[in-house]
Amino acid sequence: MAVKRQLSMVMDLNKCIGCHTCTSACKLQWTNRNGREYMYWNNVETMPGTGYPKNYADMGGGFDADGALKMGTEPSAEDYGVPWDYNYEEALMTGTDPWLRPNVKPTWGANWDEDEGEGEYPNSYYFYLPRLCNHCENPACLAACSRNAIYKRQEDGIVLIDQERCRGYRYCVSACPYKKVYFNEEISKSEKCIFCYPRIEKGLPTACAKQCVGRIRWIGYRDDEDGPIHTLVDKYKVALPLHPEMGTKPNVFYVPPLSPPKIDANGGATAESRVPLDYLESLFGDGVSAALDTITAERAKKADGGESELMDTLIGYRHAEMFKLS
Amino acid sequence: MQKTIATLTAMTLLAAPGLSTAETLAEANVKLIEAYDEVKVSTIPDGIYLRSVNDPDDIIWERLPEYRVNMLPAPGVHESVELRVNYDAEETFLYMTLAKTSERFYVRLRWVDETRNTATAFDRFRDGAAVQFSLGDDETSYIMGDGPDSAVNIWYWRSDSNSVQNLAAGGPGSTTMLDEQPVTGDSMYAENDGDPNEWTVVMSRPIAADGEHTASLDRDIVPMAFAVWQGAEQQRDGLKSVSDGWILLDMTSD
Repeated sequence: MAVKRQLSMVMDLNKCIGCHTCTSACKLQWTNRNGREYMYWNNVETMPGTGYPKNYADMGGGFDADGALKMGTEPSAEDYGVPWDYNYEEALMTGTDPWLRPNVKPTWGANWDEDEGEGEYPNSYYFYLPRLCNHCENPACLAACSRNAIYKRQEDGIVLIDQERCRGYRYCVSACPYKKVYFNEEISKSEKCIFCYPRIEKGLPTACAKQCVGRIRWIGYRDDEDGPIHTLVDKYKVALPLHPEMGTKPNVFYVPPLSPPKIDANGGATAESRVPLDYLESLFGDGVSAALDTITAERAKKADGGESELMDTLIGYRHAEMFKLS
Repeated sequence: MQKTIATLTAMTLLAAPGLSTAETLAEANVKLIEAYDEVKVSTIPDGIYLRSVNDPDDIIWERLPEYRVNMLPAPGVHESVELRVNYDAEETFLYMTLAKTSERFYVRLRWVDETRNTATAFDRFRDGAAVQFSLGDDETSYIMGDGPDSAVNIWYWRSDSNSVQNLAAGGPGSTTMLDEQPVTGDSMYAENDGDPNEWTVVMSRPIAADGEHTASLDRDIVPMAFAVWQGAEQQRDGLKSVSDGWILLDMTSD
């Protein structure tokens, strides 16, 4: 879907420390109330892992090779995890209950499998993957909506749900292969990440990006050749979309993680990386190997005291350079 | 309001031989109405009152003729519906009773539904039913109308809130809630021992009603169509069963 300009985000997974500050910022800004409590418009997943909602990548949606919508399913409450709270008042204040206990038996939730990852010591591995709506160029949610309630803004490509038109059919929920559209049971309508458009319109970055402790996020327009998005996505091709095979053409990109070498039985380093290349390719497609090679080479250049535009961009010295919103 | 012997007598006079409401749908032997058939709307004499305005179990319904229409999967008008629709679904029927007083129009619907789905939750869908009126004549498309100048008025009963929405549409995907909400309704779900379970829904509205997209019922012939959603089959939107074409309500009094 052609728009005049497209805002995009890049996240460097080499810098994410899994602190969830982005998630907290988003939740406080948008989803801690009014039926959105269970939603995470932004969340951070441990990979390899089940993701959120549970096994979302196996729930279908997106487009087939011919561009036709693929069938998807709507996650259940259990797939998201039923939010629970504690009886703080009774247990800690009035003393009427000797036990501090959850009001719902916790059986699953976002980040339930945090830091589990895969592999056996010394070759165990994991990395963090923050996820939000990809504000896709070809949004499956938009294609799936039979009421044209979902639209993509011409001025910045942000994908929004018109709350006046939504009647809660949830085709969008099942069609999004990233499961980043959520059904609000309180109002029987679907809701999703709005890329903090009220902040964007004031020249401010999204809450998740602004609050990021690791400074892993860049925001800018794809067509700004002096901006960080163009540098990382188009010039150096080190930032890649998640699951490009889903056919939605995401506008959120990831710099894949480098990893130390695998250790052999004698404790020596092998030529293989700890995070298997084929695993990274299953997430980010064919460009992973070239991206990792480029980052490795540019990193070496910088370490040797040389100049590297790519490394200077990835370091993210100043917010003003990381967020180019005009 | 309590019925008097006088009103009960009057109601027995209304009974149409051979067309009275059966106990359950499994036992029903009810006249089948086909597309573009005319159906006389029964007149309830003034002075006869339902226990409550939309009581689905009122004795009055046993005194009025009931008809049925064949319900078919709605033609898929969007890729999301096409992905899910089952055109091989078993034939079903919707049973209806149409009545009016001098002031109010009633439609009572019954249909088989083995499962009572009244939740609208993440992956759960509610049962529902709707009746649709052409704002014009029967040239208007019975598939949600065709354009703003050829619109339809829809009464949509939803099981999660047991309420009725007054809607308008000018083609698939354009369903819009109207400012005027004169339609009310009530429902009953019967779990029949040995027979299929069924919903009964009554919707009604004053015959005189304002609104650009509120169908006039003050005319001799009113084109009407029907839809049912089975929540257990994740039906919503155009994923529904519908009657084929319009049936034509004869609103004239005897």
